[in-house]
Amino acid sequence: MLWAILTVAVLIVLLQVRRSRRTVAALERRLEVASRGLESLQQAFSHFAPAEVVEEIIAHGVSTRSEKKEITVLFADLKGFTALGERLEPEVLVRVLNGYFERMSRAITAHRGHVSKFLGDGILALFGALEANPWQTNDAAHAALAMRTALADYNAALRSEGLPPLAVGVGIHRGSVVAGVIGSAELVEYGVIGRAVNLAARVQTLTRAFAVDVLVTEAVRDVLDQRFRLAPMPATEVKGVPGPLATFAVEAFDPTSDAPARPAGGRQSG
Amino acid sequence: MTSMAAPAALPDAEWSECLLPAGPVPREMAREVRRAVGALPGWVPRLAPSPWIVRAFRDTIQRPAAYLPRTFFDLGAVVVSQDNSCRYCYGAQRAVMKVLGYRDEYLDRLVRDFHVVDLPPGERAGLDYLRRLSRADPRPGRAESEAVVQAGLDRRAVTEIAAVAAFCTFNNRVATLLALPPDPIESLVRGPLFRFIRPLMARRMRPRARPPEPPPQPNDGPLAALVTALGDSPAASVVRRMIEGAWNSPVLPRRTRALLLAVVARALGCAYSEGEARRLLAAEGLEGSHVDEILTHLGSAQLDRREARLVPFARETVRYQPAAIQRRVRETCDAMSREETLETIGTVALANALCRMSVVLDAPRAAG
Repeated sequence: MLWAILTVAVLIVLLQVRRSRRTVAALERRLEVASRGLESLQQAFSHFAPAEVVEEIIAHGVSTRSEKKEITVLFADLKGFTALGERLEPEVLVRVLNGYFERMSRAITAHRGHVSKFLGDGILALFGALEANPWQTNDAAHAALAMRTALADYNAALRSEGLPPLAVGVGIHRGSVVAGVIGSAELVEYGVIGRAVNLAARVQTLTRAFAVDVLVTEAVRDVLDQRFRLAPMPATEVKGVPGPLATFAVEAFDPTSDAPARPAGGRQSG
Repeated sequence: MTSMAAPAALPDAEWSECLLPAGPVPREMAREVRRAVGALPGWVPRLAPSPWIVRAFRDTIQRPAAYLPRTFFDLGAVVVSQDNSCRYCYGAQRAVMKVLGYRDEYLDRLVRDFHVVDLPPGERAGLDYLRRLSRADPRPGRAESEAVVQAGLDRRAVTEIAAVAAFCTFNNRVATLLALPPDPIESLVRGPLFRFIRPLMARRMRPRARPPEPPPQPNDGPLAALVTALGDSPAASVVRRMIEGAWNSPVLPRRTRALLLAVVARALGCAYSEGEARRLLAAEGLEGSHVDEILTHLGSAQLDRREARLVPFARETVRYQPAAIQRRVRETCDAMSREETLETIGTVALANALCRMSVVLDAPRAAG
């Protein structure tokens, strides 16, 4: 009798152990899936904010970190897109715009830039914002030339479909910004604030007046590799900037040029 | 870049074909490696054309540390290799850990989040510091190293963590940039005989206590202050040998090597290493103004054709995604010999390692 009770008790314990093991295994599998999801999220986040900010958000659910840093801002906008939008069917318009964003983003990230925002048909890209980058300004100028090439290819594809080609204007400026996680409880994003951002946007608008596609400010010119061929544009009054603003059109990059480096200094603060 | 968090399933990560075929291994080299690590690992036939890189691998996997907890080297190597998405080092190191008796569940927890595994607070803080050093985004400062001391690790052990970060940085970069194929030890630990041979293998591979050593003499070559800062740790001699090996190898000119160091130092904001590189370049006859131009724009008419390719490439080895950097290595080293390719990769890997390790110069000196 005692043996029978003991055997039943042992069997019950064994069953419980088996059940517990199954539960633990199932929990571990769920934990593994959740963990992979978190890792993917963490990786995705690292494209939107500096590593330290992502870590802080993961650890504390919020980031209060903000810092002043010198970055290079690239602002791109399609010329005449509003009028074009009125002529195209909505689905065609969205497809054309998405194809454009896709190609431009690729050109920007290939040169270590980060697309901060799409604003209508505009693109705000930052260089040196997510990680320290001593070559941020050259990278931005290279990205602008890569955007020019990518757009030429895209236009060839659009023409073959009977669609009108696109034209882009790009403004680049280097200056100080305040960077941090900005927003409300409903919507937050890692962003930058400062005159440098507005100035890049203003410079972009000048591309229409000068009929060029890439314009940079003096602050960019001063630190840019001399192998970029620049053409000075007439100094122009722009909103929010005291005095006329000097800008330079970026014509090309000549890697074989043996021009000496421009002396550093004379930077215009943003 | 080195990603924020490497994918959990690292063995499935995109990894290209190995850049260099396996080649013959000189008998003396094979004997030395066997004597040191008990076997001839898969990397030896690939790295054999650069004896200093083989020596560096051999020395670093022997865990040259006297003050760190005995298991730290292995735990750190698996955490950093995973963080750096180094398929080769992660797979090989995980296999070594299994030989040493670690269970898969523990290793999974470790790489998922080492904060939740059962470790003394000092070691946990040490792993966090190690990963920060490896990421260098940004390079940690004195406050971070002091936090590890506060958590319970000896100051000399914290200095050795910087050396571990350098060794992992070096090994991960060499393995990733070359796209070394999985090491045979990975299939061995999956094999049916593993449980029987494991105790024998473990006896051979178990970390052993290393006593402090007299600092290397002479120590008057490049980056001597870095070696001095390691004090009487066995890591000091290893670092000295790595630097001397690279600096005295005739395959690439010294000027080219110093330029690669300067670029990596500039990218990581390491003033000490950039200063050393500038001193070495001045000794090679390159004027300061030309160095300024090269470091400002990653190009100059002063560079020869090979340097003009390698200088911008060096910058890309600081932070990367494995598949992208492997494609870039193929483009950059396309017209180079096997020896030149290996030496280029070894040099940028060493530059990355030393610039990360240079935080030891910021820290208060350990009491001997």
